[in-house]
Amino acid sequence: MNPSRTMWCWAFAALALAVALGICAGHQWAAPAEIWQAITERDTLRGRLLWEWRMPRVLAAACVGALLGLSGAVFQGVFRNPLAEPYLLGASGGAALGATIALLVPLGLPQSWLLPVLAFAGAWGSTILVLGVARVAGALDASGMLLAGVAMAAMLGAIRSFLMLALSDETVSLQVVMSWVLGGIQTPTWSGLGWLALITLACLLGTQTLARGLDLLGLGDATAQSFGLDVARFVPRAVLLGSLVVAAAVAYGGLVAFVGLAAPHIARWWVGPRHRWVLPASALAGAVVVTVADAIARSVLPPAEVPLGLITAVAGGPFFIVLLARRLRAYGGRA
Amino acid sequence: MSDTAMLGAAHLCLQRQGRVLLDDVSLDLPQRGAVALVGPNGAGKSTLMQVLAGQLAPDSGAVTLQGQPLHDLNVRARAQRIGYMPQRFEPHWDVTLLDLVQMRVTDPAQAAQVLALASLQALAQRRWSTLSGGERARGMLAAVLATDPPVLLADEPGAALDVQHRLALVQALARRGRERLVVVVMHDLDLAFECFDRVVVLHAGRVAMDGAPTDLLHAAQLDEVFGVRFERIAVAPHTLLRARSLSQEPTT
Repeated sequence: MNPSRTMWCWAFAALALAVALGICAGHQWAAPAEIWQAITERDTLRGRLLWEWRMPRVLAAACVGALLGLSGAVFQGVFRNPLAEPYLLGASGGAALGATIALLVPLGLPQSWLLPVLAFAGAWGSTILVLGVARVAGALDASGMLLAGVAMAAMLGAIRSFLMLALSDETVSLQVVMSWVLGGIQTPTWSGLGWLALITLACLLGTQTLARGLDLLGLGDATAQSFGLDVARFVPRAVLLGSLVVAAAVAYGGLVAFVGLAAPHIARWWVGPRHRWVLPASALAGAVVVTVADAIARSVLPPAEVPLGLITAVAGGPFFIVLLARRLRAYGGRA
Repeated sequence: MSDTAMLGAAHLCLQRQGRVLLDDVSLDLPQRGAVALVGPNGAGKSTLMQVLAGQLAPDSGAVTLQGQPLHDLNVRARAQRIGYMPQRFEPHWDVTLLDLVQMRVTDPAQAAQVLALASLQALAQRRWSTLSGGERARGMLAAVLATDPPVLLADEPGAALDVQHRLALVQALARRGRERLVVVVMHDLDLAFECFDRVVVLHAGRVAMDGAPTDLLHAAQLDEVFGVRFERIAVAPHTLLRARSLSQEPTT
């Protein structure tokens, strides 16, 4: 099924609406006229705040959401399991550990670039480790890697907690680490946003190269292989590319749960199961969800900001339970 | 191994967890012909099909395709030349029949043509979960044959079908054997002996019998392999097999 042009128009309209809502929402509601003034003039403090803080923040939320949706679609396609979350491979655990080191260990380098770099390194490294463990154990299939990922995530989480207990003191606020671990969009500069947009676009294009392989993988290993897919090579490649997307999302948005789970479901319901369409549709769905969730996070308890991860977990938890219950009913107790 | 063989297996051996699955299996399969692979459960039929399709590597021995070692071909080249219908096929996502064919041939026009040739165009937009067993088998066969591979390996393709659909599917496969090589794992011995040019009987991982159906049908070894006593019932122009348990043998 190829989604019609009208369907894409509706989806982009939903995203535009979510972005507009996100820019209006916040500690103080901004009317559309104020926003227009901020875009065109920026001569007042409020105008500058809207232009330099809220607008890049909202657009960054959309990019992070797109990355989360994209990574979810890749991981669910690789694991052929609609309950697979990108975080199950340990990528988020690695990213969180990297970020904790950046925040707590005095390495003498600027934190603004150390945090994303170490988050990237952590996500990438933990995924490599998961692949290595699965390979040594001779379990390079989807379930083997999933189990290796769960074990890795648990270990990395324990190390992160230990570092937080051992290294945080009165000079380093534990709250800073916690707020990052609980998820929250880092407000970028306009040039930083440009980089994030570029990374998002590169991830969109890069994951398109996986689309046919993910489709074939969904037919089962034997059929995929007989239709021309080298499964043994494709799966690790797809996992690594998916981890790169997760790492980008985590570096800019902390640990945001359940978006990677929900967005591909919304996408498949909307465009069908072919990954050529599921990948961009999932990115769009993720962008809308995170933009709205971030708007809620910024405006629900002013002047405080609720961590984004809490909002998505509260909304996504029941979604996961419903999906799990439906799947258990459909497959007689097997998830 | 014959020089004219399309698909050749030479001294294939395979063990898993101490159990011998294939034990020195050698076969020459010609450019065209319908070959039925039969044998009791655990004889190694599906394993042999997977090895012939390049899905499993043997511990020793080699498979050749048109004289070239199969492992020298990459997965894509193998897929172009060998069509493989596995024993079980259940897609993880609820794809349409057109989606399935498009995963084999990416050109939408060609995919539509494949479905039209198989008289399945009315089902093109139907999702897999809504298709009957017969429609699924026909759809899968159309997808596998979409690239017109010179070799088709089908592992019990009619196992889950009712008698009408099983007969139609097996006859379609046997017809293809007039132009191409078709190897089909069969449990229905009557259909295997009636529709195929050649029957290979596997037993305990070895080729126990190999020949034309008329040569094998009356051999006592067939009874030994399957552990039953077959009554041969002549129903012109064929002979049907009715299995009797050895415990039902009259004692003297």
